[in-house]
Amino acid sequence: MLNGQLARLAVRQLRTHPWQLGLAILGIALGVAVAVSIDLANASALRAFGLSTEAVSGRATHQILGGPSGVPDALYRRVRIELGVRRAAPVVEGDVSVADGHGRTLHVLGIDPFVDADFRPYLAGSERGAARGRESLARAEDLVGRAGTALLPASTAHELGVTLGGTLVVEAAGHRRTLTVVGMLSPADPASGRALESLLVTDVATAQETLGAVGRLTRIDLIVDDPAVLPRITAALPPDADLVSAGARAGATARMILAFQWNLAALSLLALVVGMFLIYQTMTFSVVQRRPLIGSLRALGVTRAEIFAVVMTEALVIGLVGTVAGLALGFGMAQGLLRLVTRTINDLYFVLSVREVALDPVTLGKSVLLGLGATALAALPPALEATTAPPRLVMTRAAHEQHARRGARRAGWLGLAVIAAGAGVLAAPGGIALGFGGLFVVMVGAALVTPAAALLLLRPIHRVAASVFGLLGRLATRSIAAALSRTSVAMAALMIAVASAIGVGVMIASFRDAVTRWLEGTLRADVYISAPSLVGSRPDATLDPQFVARLAATPGVAHASTSRGVLVQSGRGPVQVVALDVDPSRPPRWRFRSGNDAGVWTGEAVIVSEPYANRHDTRVGSAVRLRTDRGEQNFRVAGVFYDYGSSAGVVVMSRGAYEAAWDDRRISSLALEAAPGVDVTALIAAVRERAAGGPSLVIRSNRALRETSLEIFDRTFAITGVLRTLSVAVAFVGMLAALMALQLERTREIGVLRALGLTPRQVWALVTAQTGLIGLLAGVLAVPCGLTLAAVLVFVINRRSFGWTMSIDPSPAILLQGVALSVLAALLAGLYPAWRMATRSPAEALRDE
Amino acid sequence: MWRPALELRKVSKSYREGDAERVVLHDVSVTLASGEIAVIVGRSGSGKSTLLNVIAGIDRPTTGTVVVDGTDLTALGEHARTRFRRRHIGFVFQFFNLIPLLTVEENLLLPLELNGRADVKGLARARELLERVGLGGRGASYPERLSGGEQQRVAIARALIHDPALILADEPTGNLDAETAAGVLDLLDGLAREGGRTVLMVTHSREVVGVADRIFSIQRGALMEQPAC
Repeated sequence: MLNGQLARLAVRQLRTHPWQLGLAILGIALGVAVAVSIDLANASALRAFGLSTEAVSGRATHQILGGPSGVPDALYRRVRIELGVRRAAPVVEGDVSVADGHGRTLHVLGIDPFVDADFRPYLAGSERGAARGRESLARAEDLVGRAGTALLPASTAHELGVTLGGTLVVEAAGHRRTLTVVGMLSPADPASGRALESLLVTDVATAQETLGAVGRLTRIDLIVDDPAVLPRITAALPPDADLVSAGARAGATARMILAFQWNLAALSLLALVVGMFLIYQTMTFSVVQRRPLIGSLRALGVTRAEIFAVVMTEALVIGLVGTVAGLALGFGMAQGLLRLVTRTINDLYFVLSVREVALDPVTLGKSVLLGLGATALAALPPALEATTAPPRLVMTRAAHEQHARRGARRAGWLGLAVIAAGAGVLAAPGGIALGFGGLFVVMVGAALVTPAAALLLLRPIHRVAASVFGLLGRLATRSIAAALSRTSVAMAALMIAVASAIGVGVMIASFRDAVTRWLEGTLRADVYISAPSLVGSRPDATLDPQFVARLAATPGVAHASTSRGVLVQSGRGPVQVVALDVDPSRPPRWRFRSGNDAGVWTGEAVIVSEPYANRHDTRVGSAVRLRTDRGEQNFRVAGVFYDYGSSAGVVVMSRGAYEAAWDDRRISSLALEAAPGVDVTALIAAVRERAAGGPSLVIRSNRALRETSLEIFDRTFAITGVLRTLSVAVAFVGMLAALMALQLERTREIGVLRALGLTPRQVWALVTAQTGLIGLLAGVLAVPCGLTLAAVLVFVINRRSFGWTMSIDPSPAILLQGVALSVLAALLAGLYPAWRMATRSPAEALRDE
Repeated sequence: MWRPALELRKVSKSYREGDAERVVLHDVSVTLASGEIAVIVGRSGSGKSTLLNVIAGIDRPTTGTVVVDGTDLTALGEHARTRFRRRHIGFVFQFFNLIPLLTVEENLLLPLELNGRADVKGLARARELLERVGLGGRGASYPERLSGGEQQRVAIARALIHDPALILADEPTGNLDAETAAGVLDLLDGLAREGGRTVLMVTHSREVVGVADRIFSIQRGALMEQPAC
């Protein structure tokens, strides 16, 4: 228990330096805010995914899945009638975009209202509390009786301005369709609301027509109470169908975004780590400033434990206030970040509609613990140091700084050992978590090395400054080394933040470069045609083969090739298969990591992308086992190629091999090569003319497609940029706090210099030169650290998260930008303290004697 | 034409403390001739240091005129006063106030550098002065390595190095033992008289009063001249 007098003393100490207190609170608040906002955005996206999966899967225990085009209608009748599985429901699913809905997508759920009650009770109204579905049940007749009818959640209808009985125009695979809204789904609680959000419920036939899948079902949902029935169902299924547990399928999809979310979480923690530096710095200042006072208190009989309690309590109060402020700020920031997270998931993985941040008590609790834990951890060293102050000893500032310099050397050696340990962790085989763990250890090591490395770098700088600027130059450089106990933490925090900016910047630039080269190698045709797709990186809509043949015959086309991209099931979850009808004499020029495309275009083998090979440990000569319409089949792997289109991995085969294994003749996209002398723009115009009156198409030139691809790439990393900026902002606050503390301590020295004749402008220049130098040192040290970070991100994290490898391309511009950012952040942070020092009355400063 | 080294005309200084106004200096007028050593005595808080700050141009009087070596400081702006101070005034502080990050020699060179005179001649002058104050071999040492008395001797050398017209000393022996204080005082007295410098010291030490040509006391903000010992 804290003694009353000591508590009052601590409160007064905090009140004496309000800016120090304020900046510490701001630092921890920003750190917590970034962590909590990413956590909330991630959790909201996952929760929305979970709820929507639950909404469409309902209470099904198992699902019968087919190949790329699903299962035939007839299979449902067979399962229900011949196999006698009474609790079975047909489902047709897909995504549509709302015409003129500003990019709004809806998830079509086609069901049979008469058998669906057991599966999705919120639609049947038999379950109280989940949703008031009485109305929808009453409208079931309408759904089945009238073609082109649908149910829409009331909130979504309100947003889209659709009323009961009104119409909604949707677009899928380039075709528009008008649906009449015959009922509104009114969820009973917010959770159900989020689950139903963006759901468009129709009967099976309407869904089939809307999605262009007449006669096919996406799946058949089953509720199987007796596991003994399962083998009988499996045995009765045709080769192109498979029985899977409902949970396994959702889990495989959720796992797709796990690596992406891991990366965001790790970046968000960076801001908190920088915030921890700030707390450590504040508490160290506070202890150093009070050493004489602590010595006197000890002489008066205050115990070490009481001193420790005072310092820790102060820190925890700061941490608590900062955490609470950070939670509020983080909730606000999460709204903005959620948009970025959702957009990336939509670009890379699957259609996800999340409209609001779900306030999750677990996330909030975790953040409070994180904020307070970080505070306690950061305050521990200064609190322990406070207890070592011997009674009545007043350590001189010079002695303290000497102690700090010795400490810096020791920390430097320790840092090198920590970096070596981190490198060991990174070299060891393991998952993403271990990769980030190793990276964190390396970064901590680099932070420990910073003060000693800065002292080494200062030596040549000192010589140059002394010869150019004389005594004032010497004063500027020496004061940095002399104030090491104050500036080293801020310098290390700034170094880490700038190193992250450099590291992530180099990684993104290298990645972008690799993607650009990959696009150049992959996109060799002049014009690309596809149906509008809702997932940025994956064509999920199809084109009619006859229509494609008509477009391929457009005058001016020298060569046409098609591609079909589908998700097929395998023993290891869904696999993206791409079938290309390539002329064997003119194969695509892809870069291979191993093997080649020998035998692929004649249908004897397949090639797999690097992420696929990494994920499934596939090598040249091994086999990929896929479930085809003829049952499970092995495909020999001839090569592993570099590919940045999908982190899940792709299996590429010839169209002939695909059609031999699957009864799917649809086409995802068409590539046209212009005949010599034919202008690409003119060819696009000719294609458009031919396509007039048909489904809407996305027709892009090679250049436009490359630009779109890179646009998606840039969008993916937009959130990374936001997080980097926030980390630098926290470091900036740290630097400001350090310089403000330094300004307080140098009051007398500055007063003397002013008395000796230094003008305010010279004082300002002196202080600004010092802060600029601190920024320069942090920036220069951030370069090797940033490059190491980039190497770890490229060769360890990216590889483990997404399976991509690439070479590092450290552009000098990025490195220089990093150094400039560091100097600028320090200079900006130094503006106010420098102004304060320059304008402080020397009389007042000398009175402080 | 005879020109006083220092002339104060009806100088007053007051501070606002909440709603009240606290008068620290009240109608102070005095003239010091070149080469005179004057001492102002007074109790703590009597306004001695404030008077020194006003004379140095560090602080501005509320009313009145301060003329140093023929220049009216009250007519100058902050920048001009600072430039005047660096050329014409030397300072000795109670707590020495050497710059801890500069060596002893560098501390001495600082006023010369500010005046653009830190050349070879300046360096020779610094070394000569260090010899004179008995610290010839300590030029490369940092102030923290020196005793209090040694530090004050360096401070005296620093105050004299740029040949200022006026040396202001604020309790120069206040932080030293009697023996060391006497040595420091002798040094200041000797060097100032030798160079014909005008010195104004504030103190409450009787030993300091002993070296003065003129003695002033300050009471309730008013300055009164006392008969010399």
